Amino acid sequence: MIALLWSITIVSLLATLIISVCGIVAKPNLVKKLIALTIFSDTANVLVVLLGYRVIYPVKPPILPQLSKTALGEFVKTAVDPLPQALVITAVVIGMAVNILIAFAIIQIYRIYGTLDVREVGKTLPELLRRGEA
Amino acid sequence: MKRLIGLLILLITVLGVAFYIAQNITPPKDLHPLGEYYLENSYFGEHSAKSPEVVTSILWDYRGVDTLFETAVFFLAIIGSLTLFRLNKEQAEEARQGQPKPQLPEPVVVVTKLTVAMILAVSASIALHGQLTPGGGFQGGSALAVAPLLVIAAYTKYALEKNGLDKTRAIIIRSIGLLGIALTALTPLLANGYIMQNQPIFPGEALGVPLGGSLVLYNLFEYLAVGAGFTAVFLLLSIPEKKFKKFLGVRR
Repeated sequence: MIALLWSITIVSLLATLIISVCGIVAKPNLVKKLIALTIFSDTANVLVVLLGYRVIYPVKPPILPQLSKTALGEFVKTAVDPLPQALVITAVVIGMAVNILIAFAIIQIYRIYGTLDVREVGKTLPELLRRGEA
Repeated sequence: MKRLIGLLILLITVLGVAFYIAQNITPPKDLHPLGEYYLENSYFGEHSAKSPEVVTSILWDYRGVDTLFETAVFFLAIIGSLTLFRLNKEQAEEARQGQPKPQLPEPVVVVTKLTVAMILAVSASIALHGQLTPGGGFQGGSALAVAPLLVIAAYTKYALEKNGLDKTRAIIIRSIGLLGIALTALTPLLANGYIMQNQPIFPGEALGVPLGGSLVLYNLFEYLAVGAGFTAVFLLLSIPEKKFKKFLGVRR
């Protein structure tokens, strides 16, 4: 039963990854592309955290409960792997900053072209360049 | 209806694949050897960071250089956002003109004041206790950035600027934070250490509280850098669209 729940978690996360990649590729609207991208990165982060999880009953966060050496053995037996969490913490904040950069670019594109549809932007760009020559 | 059928097919596929895989995998019960090493050594042990919070000690000590470069990515992303919305002097002056009067009813304004004070306290606690409890510079900074966002939403951005927190000051605070991180990382070189070395250089505890050596410094500076960086970006983002269209000369 536990194996089934575990595999449902993993497979549904993988399905979310695939769907968000479809969203990035197929949606013409830039904002929707950005939303799909954030879903993609968050799912990847959850998968990385899942790598360090342990399926045992009393499972603890990786913080020493008390500062004595006697508690260390018990702590190592119940704590989850801290390394994936440490990698994800930075990835989350950096992802937020990069998403803001992309959002700024999208806002600027909307101001200049008046549209968020990539096909429209692709059509308007050559016209703008030609107007500069004339 | 068509969407519902698609969702159903997806659900059945996921459940089917999961059922098929479930017979072949066993959920992980043991630690990876590397994770076990970090858990045993983060407070006790020879290569210790003197921090009971293992995640923070990995973040700023064992894998410190990794985090240093991630901070560089953060720096570049914020600089990129600021460059995209660049204004010249007159435009920046015009963007600052406005009424710092809240448009919302009185209760909202009062509650916002209380909430902002609480957010500041909580974010500082998250960042400065990063070596003892869950949290750290990144998390505290992200929480700190919510406070100016709330002020912008409930009052206006002009209220924030009239009270002294404008874009330039936010960028200065952010630069102080990043400079502090760089200096803390380079300090061990003076004492014949290597970059980002922690325990032999910095003190392990002060007044009976474990500090984790350089961890508390890194957390403090990262807190300032992340919070102020996001504040600068939010201030730019809250310039009214009308003004921006005028600056760009767009007629739409």
